[in-house]
Amino acid sequence: MLKALRVLVCYFGTTYQMHHAYIDKYAYQDSPIHRLDSRVKFVVLLVFTAVVISLPRTSLSILACYAVGPFTILVLGRIQLRFALKQILLASPFVLILALSCPLYDKTAVTIAFGPFVWYSTVGWLRCFVILGKFTVTMLALIALISTTRFADLLTGLQWLGLPKVLVIQLGFLYRYIFVLIDRAQHILQARAGRRLRSLGFKRELKTAAAMLGSLLARSIDTAGHINIAMQARGFDGRWRSISRLQIRRADILFALIAASFMLGLYILIRPALQ
Amino acid sequence: MPKAIEIDSFSYKYPDGTAALSEITLNIEHDQKVALIGPNGAGKSTLLLAIAGFVKGNGKVLIDGLEINRKNLKKIRTCLGCCLENPDDQLFMPTLFDDVAFGPLNMGLSAEQVKKRVADALETVGLAEMADKAPHHLSAGQKRAAAIATILSMKPKIITFDEPDGSLDPRNRNNLIKLLKDLPHTLIIATCNMNFAIALAERAVLLDKGRIIADGDAEKIMSDSQLMAEHGLEVPSKIRG
Repeated sequence: MLKALRVLVCYFGTTYQMHHAYIDKYAYQDSPIHRLDSRVKFVVLLVFTAVVISLPRTSLSILACYAVGPFTILVLGRIQLRFALKQILLASPFVLILALSCPLYDKTAVTIAFGPFVWYSTVGWLRCFVILGKFTVTMLALIALISTTRFADLLTGLQWLGLPKVLVIQLGFLYRYIFVLIDRAQHILQARAGRRLRSLGFKRELKTAAAMLGSLLARSIDTAGHINIAMQARGFDGRWRSISRLQIRRADILFALIAASFMLGLYILIRPALQ
Repeated sequence: MPKAIEIDSFSYKYPDGTAALSEITLNIEHDQKVALIGPNGAGKSTLLLAIAGFVKGNGKVLIDGLEINRKNLKKIRTCLGCCLENPDDQLFMPTLFDDVAFGPLNMGLSAEQVKKRVADALETVGLAEMADKAPHHLSAGQKRAAAIATILSMKPKIITFDEPDGSLDPRNRNNLIKLLKDLPHTLIIATCNMNFAIALAERAVLLDKGRIIADGDAEKIMSDSQLMAEHGLEVPSKIRG
């Protein structure tokens, strides 16, 4: 359980240091992609994800072509590919389990041809690679969005696109306080590490972990109380008010047109394969 | 003209029955800078919460002539700003701009007025370039300044501060002293740092075990070494020489 807590902390913060590897650490850079309207980027991501997910299982090579899209965004947005791959790796365990189980239950033989190369495999393995490929491409697109859009702009965009206000507020608080919570979890883990001189056995470790989680929960409730006071002190009456600073410009329209042409062009290219 | 704060025989007990504040009577004039000093657990934070209307007890509390009740609360919120001990509790929005704009928006100001107030408040605390930053990207000193900006943008007459110098290094503490000294508002600063208190306040109110022990000239109270020691405090180094 302590290991689980540590993994969770490490998921958002790289080490036991005070400085986390923020998931949006590149969002505050400046580039043509960063300057695009969050609504346009979000809608493009949504359509792109839908298109990639709906690709047939036989279209591995087309999938590779679709990866060019998010890859270009990452390059133009000056996002390190290593950072993107690390994020994908962190989110991959669940998908890996799902993908690797495919070869176990579908062993139908299949011939795969790629240009002059031909090899034999099973439908299960093909499905496994397609799942992993689709996951990687859609994750690349998601990371491209998060790394080139400030979270506040994304929230404003989502609200404009019709996401319920309550959900937008919840997401805002989650984004704001997840880092505070990580800091606290790190402090608790450090305090424990400083006094843990030997292994106490599973039962005692479990008890310690429960106490640590309890302390984290109690402090979170305390923080929630203080935030409530801070909000009320500034006249909050239950109605959420905000100023939208989003603006669609010519560059946004151009970006949407290029993205649409890219997706449509590839679709036309693979249409014969779909029939 | 009504006093900034009038408290008459205010008492408050915690839900478990422990007396937090007993028979507090305190008057603060406009434009005064008052240090609320006392050891840990003296009741300083509770008194600040009572002044802001978050703690309901027995007795009367008037802010700028308005008694704290449901009807007056909205008006009181615009004339009294409270800065909490932990800036992370005060900065709850995704960006600094949104945080500083939160109060003015709730006051019903137009978008243009809000933008002007945000720009002015951030300029005052020296964070004009940081408007689009997320609070978790700010340093401790910047967070403290940002928390003050969230209050300044509402243009209150009175501001209360709960341990504003906590976890600040000497340079940031000096910057904060300079910033607070330049504010024309009525300030009530709760602190157990006597050097910080003497640098800012002309009047000191010593609180211990929920009671006012001494109230008067800051230098006179803080130079009484016996009084300070009795209540777990120290004479500021400026007076000790």
